[in-house]
Amino acid sequence: MAYTIEAQNLAKTFTVNESGKGLLGAVKALFSTKKRIIHAVENISFGIGQGEFAGYVGENGAGKSTTIKILTGILVPTGGVARVNGVVPYENRRENSKNIGVVFGQRTQLWWDLPVRESFEILRVIYRVSKGDFDATMARLTMGLGLDGLMEMPVRKLSLGQRMRCDIAASLVHRPAVLFLDEPTIGLDVLAKENIRSFLRELNAKDGTTIILTTHDMNDIEQLCKRLIILDKGRIVHDGPTDELKKKFPHDKIIEVDFENEVAALPLVPELEPIRREGNKMWLRHAHGPSGLALAIGKLASLYPVKDLSVREPSVELIVRSIYEKTAALPAYAPGEKAAE
Amino acid sequence: MNPAVFGKFAAVSFQKEIAYRFDYFMAVLNGFLYVFVFTALWRALYAQGGGAAGFTAASITAYAVVAMAIRISFSMDDTTIAIKVRDGSIATDLIRPVSFFMMNLAQCIGFSAFHTVARGVPILIFSIFLFKLDIPFTARGAALGALSLVMGYLILFMLNYLFGLIAFWVIEVFPFQLTKYGLLNLLGGSVIPVDLFPAFMKPFLVLLPFQHIFYTPAAILVGHTAPERALVMLAEQAAWVGIMGAASLLAWNAGKSRLVIQGG
Repeated sequence: MAYTIEAQNLAKTFTVNESGKGLLGAVKALFSTKKRIIHAVENISFGIGQGEFAGYVGENGAGKSTTIKILTGILVPTGGVARVNGVVPYENRRENSKNIGVVFGQRTQLWWDLPVRESFEILRVIYRVSKGDFDATMARLTMGLGLDGLMEMPVRKLSLGQRMRCDIAASLVHRPAVLFLDEPTIGLDVLAKENIRSFLRELNAKDGTTIILTTHDMNDIEQLCKRLIILDKGRIVHDGPTDELKKKFPHDKIIEVDFENEVAALPLVPELEPIRREGNKMWLRHAHGPSGLALAIGKLASLYPVKDLSVREPSVELIVRSIYEKTAALPAYAPGEKAAE
Repeated sequence: MNPAVFGKFAAVSFQKEIAYRFDYFMAVLNGFLYVFVFTALWRALYAQGGGAAGFTAASITAYAVVAMAIRISFSMDDTTIAIKVRDGSIATDLIRPVSFFMMNLAQCIGFSAFHTVARGVPILIFSIFLFKLDIPFTARGAALGALSLVMGYLILFMLNYLFGLIAFWVIEVFPFQLTKYGLLNLLGGSVIPVDLFPAFMKPFLVLLPFQHIFYTPAAILVGHTAPERALVMLAEQAAWVGIMGAASLLAWNAGKSRLVIQGG
């Protein structure tokens, strides 16, 4: 029953000193005490069981990274409790860090000026991994993540994809039971993402590593995460199996159209629902199944002067937005509610 | 922290310093320049005879060389904590099962070890021959001096650590660093031995840790401090190590809940 990762009513507020515009504003800010309070996360509750692979998504600034940083012991919450493997991370940071692996896609944890091999050797010493265990783990990681040929390169010379693979390997040197991945596929090409995904899938399936993944890429979620937690403005707005969500939006496609001239509305193509407009560009949602899509696009192109057009999968952001519109259609979410397993 | 981890951090930091060769040559030049300027100054001032504050022309030259060699050996990168807070990379330090204080100390020792071996010691040896310095050697003086060096080093490290932690509260730490440099130059003893200060300055010397960074070890090592006085100064140094250690712990505990990770 005990969860591997547990958050109870977590809250984190930051106080920001307001500074006015320009030099005068900056000088005024020296003397004024005008403060703004930002609620990065509010009343976050969830429990993730051992061996789960959970997606944690939301728009920029929704509080994903803040939650991860509380769970990894970097930030101290202003309210609520968190536990990872039964340890309160921000009270026993060092104890907690022995059991977890962390990857921040936005920054490297490797030693910038040293060859990759040296970083792994430093980590081996830090985590007190025996030589035998280390060699076995490294052999697996080298194969699984394709690190051959990278080991002697200085970290600063790695490409983003190579660096990310090395960073993921670095987070696993001590074979942690829990892995936190904060945007591990950011900025990577399709092939690099695919390699990383298949590695993570195997890690979760074979080793039973509990994984939390934050991402902006819906494909990461669809291919990896059986469970999805959606965050918006610091609050959880959805927590449940990913399949359930996909069933709600099974055939939604987004059509991005660039018209020759500005088009205000599309009364003749009612099956395409405009969701955003920017000059001559328009984003339309098609929610009526795959068969109607080609027909709708044909109709659109014959009735309006289309310059360019592309069809996309709906983004996480869009699904989040859709959830608000269709709240009634989804099972109601209550904080602290146990997710289906 | 386990010694192997400590050693590893120190070794990596030492290696990193080796990599910056041009910086190194400039720093050696800079070190010699300081030694020449201050020895020339003190010799000129004491050439008229007289013996202010118990120094002679020869003994103050010895003091100036030793104090400067200590200062060069105690080179530290005091910007790392503020930079790590400013760019958010402190996050990657905090995901490790290591104490932030001990990690910084280990890295600092690696850094200083390089500057001791590569600059401090060569400059000292060269100066001893160049200025024909006569430094009285006694086993007791050397042992007390070595102890004093260790404590002086810890005091300077913790001073830099505490000033670095200011970054947890304010983003712009440079003005605080300037204040620190000013006080360190004036009161630390690397430029002026504190015996030369007028009486009204004494409270500042006693109430602040600065004199125990360079003055105390240098004065003991060149035999300027009387044996009984040396023990008192070592006790004062030890008290400062304790006070600053406690302050470091308190500041860390207060600061960590205020930490904001910049850049996501």
